[in-house]
Amino acid sequence: MPPIENDTGKNELKTQIQKLIEDNQVVVFSKSYCPYCVQVKDLFKELNIKCNVMELDLIENGTSYQEMLLEITGQKTVPQVFVNKTHVGGCDKTMQAHKDGSLQQLLSGENEAYDYDLIVIGGGSGGLACSKEAALLGKKVMVLDYVVPTPKGTSWGLGGTCVNVGCIPKKLMHQTALLATAIQDARKFGWEFDESVKHNWETMKTAVNNYIGSLNWGYRVSLRDKNVNYVNAYAEFVEPHKIKTTNKRGKETFYTAAKFVLATGERPRYLGIPGDKEHCITSDDLFSLPYCPGKTLVIGASYVALECGGFLTSLGLDVTIMVRSILLRGFDQDMANRAGEYMEKHGVKFIRKFVPIKIEQLEAGSPGRLKVTAKSTETDELIEDEYNTVLIAVGRNACTDKIGLEKAGVKVNPKNGKIPVNDEEQTNVPHIYAIGDILEGKWELTPVAIQAGKLLARRLYGGSRVKCDYVNVPTTVFTPLEYGACGLSEEKAIELYGQDNIEVYHSLFWPLEFTVPNRDNNQCYAKIICNKLDNDRVIGFHYLGPNAGEVTQGFGVAMKCGATKEQFDVTIGIHPTCAEIFTDLEVSKRSGGDITKSGC
Amino acid sequence: MAHRFLLRRIWTFSVKDVRCLPSSTATVSCSSFSTSLHSAPIRVSFLAQSRSLAVSHPPRRAVSFNVQDQEDFTERVINSDLPVLIDFHAQWCGPCKILGPRLEKAVAKQKGRVAMAKVDIDDHTDLAIEYGVSAVPTVIAMRGGDIIDRFVGIKDDDQLDSFVSKVIGQ
Repeated sequence: MPPIENDTGKNELKTQIQKLIEDNQVVVFSKSYCPYCVQVKDLFKELNIKCNVMELDLIENGTSYQEMLLEITGQKTVPQVFVNKTHVGGCDKTMQAHKDGSLQQLLSGENEAYDYDLIVIGGGSGGLACSKEAALLGKKVMVLDYVVPTPKGTSWGLGGTCVNVGCIPKKLMHQTALLATAIQDARKFGWEFDESVKHNWETMKTAVNNYIGSLNWGYRVSLRDKNVNYVNAYAEFVEPHKIKTTNKRGKETFYTAAKFVLATGERPRYLGIPGDKEHCITSDDLFSLPYCPGKTLVIGASYVALECGGFLTSLGLDVTIMVRSILLRGFDQDMANRAGEYMEKHGVKFIRKFVPIKIEQLEAGSPGRLKVTAKSTETDELIEDEYNTVLIAVGRNACTDKIGLEKAGVKVNPKNGKIPVNDEEQTNVPHIYAIGDILEGKWELTPVAIQAGKLLARRLYGGSRVKCDYVNVPTTVFTPLEYGACGLSEEKAIELYGQDNIEVYHSLFWPLEFTVPNRDNNQCYAKIICNKLDNDRVIGFHYLGPNAGEVTQGFGVAMKCGATKEQFDVTIGIHPTCAEIFTDLEVSKRSGGDITKSGC
Repeated sequence: MAHRFLLRRIWTFSVKDVRCLPSSTATVSCSSFSTSLHSAPIRVSFLAQSRSLAVSHPPRRAVSFNVQDQEDFTERVINSDLPVLIDFHAQWCGPCKILGPRLEKAVAKQKGRVAMAKVDIDDHTDLAIEYGVSAVPTVIAMRGGDIIDRFVGIKDDDQLDSFVSKVIGQ
């Protein structure tokens, strides 16, 4: 039992302190000479938050205050910080709360009881990265993922587009195609083999999908290990802080959260012509297609179209790509056309300036037979042809229309379904954020989504201020001759700086590995775009050749560092490689000089 | 005690009959990033032979069963009177395809003293997550609902026999 003396006075003091705490957003019990107290007071000054400070060494009954505080909070030392009636603690605790975001939450009065601190909608690269990082920072996190099957019934596991129906299977099938070229080259290098070389689609498909299966499982395990609650259900908003989830069996459950991250990604767009959903496939179906697609028509000229058309051709299939206007919209057109020319030289047929208007099934089967009718974009000419498979790759739609965003008040661009965000990935609704492919005007790339997701979680819960940098993002298109790029396209550079203010250096090159088999001379091409107004800084990097991803990645670092043409020139090349061409670019496009290369 | 001792001697004999495969000390399993399967084809052909021998004397009851759902798991694994080996496997996992038949063979040798439950981790993810499976194959030995032993990856026939014996002996 504590000694009971001067009970009335004590109670009065207690009431006084409690009133202070209740009437002020922030109360700091401090001592004027204490450096920790100064630190806390400075923090609130910096945050521009008015705080009521009681300097206990300067008031008459300061000691009694301190004793009473000990009774109330169990803490003897100062400072003692109260925010919205909650005892935050001393200096360290307050700084920590500021760092992990809970101080801001307390300040904004957002301490209502939600089921979760954060709910992430979408278990793709971005959503998983964000949820795991948030959980790592001590937050209670849920991630929801649900794959709506394609019209053909294809479905897949956890991990999103890249893992299941994008980068991963695409690159493995591209590798399958590169091996075909390697087998042809091998004879020139002295390899002798008798058997005719055949490709077995099913073996490749199974091997690729087995690897994907292991990745799906790995993601699931890492969510468990990081204490992220994973639910395989479709989520939609019913209120700004509340979602409804529906699982495979149709069971509905409701969850609330203080914050949300939208990371739903995109799905392939269909054409909206008779027979498209009934008879055509998309990249969502291709990578797990149980049978070899046979004679294939690829519709579209997106990178998905060119990559798929490219590897299918290399597998020995009869492939036609139907292009409405240009190849690889948004990419450097000089490079896009060169990548296309290489494909054409290597057996891909192109039908240009035509759009399909009707797909009819002539015969069911695996694969069946389809009749495609297409119309010229310029005349009334109609063409017809038969294919075993029609692959639509005309772009992707953001999955933002069926997740109840209107109920949460999130603004969506009605034209393309994309979500506008500020430079901190925040939507117009402050507690709802968005990352990845659904963002308006941002890159649709897995590593970008991962980076954005991770940094977002660190800003929300780790006190970080680092924002995702969407500039100079390196990327590669895995066409048969790969195209790597970083920075601006030539068109964009001219638009931004003017033709006269940029200098383009370029060169063809012949990889050493191509010389012995004597193939593809003067097909590979390197180009950099320099800003003459800024010390010849390299603002665009373009590479068409083998291993483009490996080459471009390193130059991406250089461009992040703001490398100039001079720095490229003084860098010593590695001989004999393809990438060394960038240390020796002498001919400017303006000069019209000879860019063919031969020998060392 | 004497009874146990006798049993143990019988196992020692039966173990000698088993073909000695080249023993691998390295653990082969499928985690998220490795599906290494070095000498797999050779091993499979060895196994195919020994399996066909086993099949020629099929035991009356099935050696193993596939777990259907959580309820089935509770009934036939957790509430089982016999010790149960739970083989967590996946279709995409190469090493699982080698371990499964080997384990089945080791269990068959025990003539009904131990049961074997097969759990496909993609069909029954919740079970696998609940039991802390990170890589496959993972084998968990359970008796009276308690986990008494576990291992991850491939084991050869001798190692499996001694694992199974230990589980029954406990």
